Amino acid sequence: MASIIALYAIPFLTGLLAGLSKKTQWCEKLQAVGALLTLLTAGHIAVTVWTGQPVTAANDVFYIDALGAFNLFLIALVGFIASIYSVGYMRHELAEQIIGPRQLRFYYAFFHFFILTMLMVSTVNSLGLLWVGIELTTLVSALLVAFYGQSNALEAAWKYLIMGSVGIAFALLGIIFIYLSGMQTLGQQSPALNWTELTQVAAVLNAEWVKLGFIFILVGFGTKAGLAPMHFWLPDAHSQAPSPISAVLSGVLLNTALYGVFRVYAIANVTLAGQASHYLVIFGLLSMAITVPFIMVQHDLKRMLAYSSVEHMGIITLGVGIGGPLGLYGAFLHMFNHSMAKSLLFFTAGSICQHYRSKQMHRISGILKVMPATGAIFLLAAVAITGAPPFNIFLSEITIMMAGFQSGRPWLTVAFVALIVLIFAGMMFYVVKMVFGEAPARVEKMTLDGWSAAALIIPLALVVVCGWVIPPILDSTLYQVSGVLQGAGR
Amino acid sequence: MDSLVAAGLLVSTLLLFKIKKMSDAVGIIAFQSALLALAAAIMGIKTGLTHLLLAAGLTVAVKTLMIPAILYYTIRKTDARQAVERTSSPHVSLLLATLLLVAGYYVAAHLELPGTEHGQSYLTTSIMLIFLGTFTMIEHKKAIMQAIGLIVIENGLFLVTQSVSYGMPLVVELGIFFDLLVSAAVIAVLSFRIHSTFDSLNTDKMQNLKG
Repeated sequence: MASIIALYAIPFLTGLLAGLSKKTQWCEKLQAVGALLTLLTAGHIAVTVWTGQPVTAANDVFYIDALGAFNLFLIALVGFIASIYSVGYMRHELAEQIIGPRQLRFYYAFFHFFILTMLMVSTVNSLGLLWVGIELTTLVSALLVAFYGQSNALEAAWKYLIMGSVGIAFALLGIIFIYLSGMQTLGQQSPALNWTELTQVAAVLNAEWVKLGFIFILVGFGTKAGLAPMHFWLPDAHSQAPSPISAVLSGVLLNTALYGVFRVYAIANVTLAGQASHYLVIFGLLSMAITVPFIMVQHDLKRMLAYSSVEHMGIITLGVGIGGPLGLYGAFLHMFNHSMAKSLLFFTAGSICQHYRSKQMHRISGILKVMPATGAIFLLAAVAITGAPPFNIFLSEITIMMAGFQSGRPWLTVAFVALIVLIFAGMMFYVVKMVFGEAPARVEKMTLDGWSAAALIIPLALVVVCGWVIPPILDSTLYQVSGVLQGAGR
Repeated sequence: MDSLVAAGLLVSTLLLFKIKKMSDAVGIIAFQSALLALAAAIMGIKTGLTHLLLAAGLTVAVKTLMIPAILYYTIRKTDARQAVERTSSPHVSLLLATLLLVAGYYVAAHLELPGTEHGQSYLTTSIMLIFLGTFTMIEHKKAIMQAIGLIVIENGLFLVTQSVSYGMPLVVELGIFFDLLVSAAVIAVLSFRIHSTFDSLNTDKMQNLKG
């Protein structure tokens, strides 16, 4: 219980103090320390769960199993890396007078509140509170998307707020249906929204309502996760937000929304005897397919990365939909790998866009000559994200591919591989043009600053290492996470 | 009594497609929420469930007082003219809204949801409210009006939970109220910024991001 209180209190206090502190120097160091403490607390909880039993506290209000701990740890890790990267990034914005000290304080305060809302989603037991948490992530992050305040940022934030809220309203309707079926089985006065209760009786719930509820929730939370065809807010929000926020949005916010889908899926797939998985396969494959034309004709660097996120959310959803021990293992490995590779990519892309003063890809060239370190890491991350060996994404995509063949769906798997190859070609075409060649004369040579280098090192190491070997702690964690979705926890 | 409240809810929502000033829409929201509170209070007295009375009290505090106050303040400070802008003419939009009512009736009849003893009569109304709220968001162009559509949807969802299960567990209910309040604040902040940047609350001006 103490560690859960700490997990809520640390980001809250960090945000509050960062928002109130008068000195910029103070503010940025304080928030970095706060993010580190959040990571340590989350790590402590995660290890407790992975090496022992799920944690429950406060009369079953909080429940953290292997899946929750996995998401929790990923949020804190990406949050920590992004908070370090923010220091260098925001100093640049401050020096260029794009923002003032007041906005800086606002940024750090809401950054940590945003992390807090996502942590909340992964620690609660009740599906109703999970909904409350996901809605809060939208509200807080909409203000961060609008951070720069120009017309495009406001348009993106408004679209995000409205689409997110409507989507999530549908998810609430779905949760009401699940609640109804739970109450019918468990009785009126029972905690019929608690995941732990529902999963016990999943096999005997009213199939009709669970099916209806699951579809509403898949569409509702799927809007938040950027699944096609509800993904329209995503490229706008990701491209208009400050780059560290784009990394958090893409790296963990989308995962958190998928987490909501998978929690309900774990119940629905049992009730519907495997029928629910078809929906995940369809939405997954559609999300992958829809990104192909948008990546091929893209002009904006950050929009291209955003579409790539739609693709990868599709891959994760597809992996879970294919299912089986191998499919689930691959899907969650992919979730981890994508978070690392995509944050690396958004960080480097952020520095590149700042330095070239443009997000337009045709205005960016010769990155390697102007920013050698950043350019090299950007290239590496782009190769990794498109699924080329010997990097981490390659391994998880191969795992999902094998699971696809194993489950006896060869055509689906062939389509999956073909889409990955197409997207690889599309993205590499632009990346190669930007990384190599001559730099425009207006752009000066620049070296990597200390804070950014410190932030890049962690995801870089994981992208490279996980391409060769999956660390034992991650391996055993992924088995446990897959177990939650297979009903091993029952 | 129940059917009177239900009729009041529907008529007030239909007026959203007839009004000319945005501040009237805020009044409609406040009135609608007061009726919701009344419905919950009646159910609470009939069943003796105290959490329904609590929900009614919260509805009055949050949805009839605080949120309309925030929205009204935002409208007063941003848009002097206050005129609503719709995609189609008032008559057409009222006609479409009426058609949606019929559709809502049809859907509610076919859902076969198990209503509670004292809540059953609101089920159809609640589905209609969700439909009309969605239509408000599509039909109106001003940012604030889209927010009002969102609140109508939320009100509809609130009524669904009341009619099928006498509401959600209390913790969840509190969380949802908190979310609503925060979203009204966020909507206000963004509306101020949209108005100062675009010099209008018309969302048609925000069509720059594509592809």
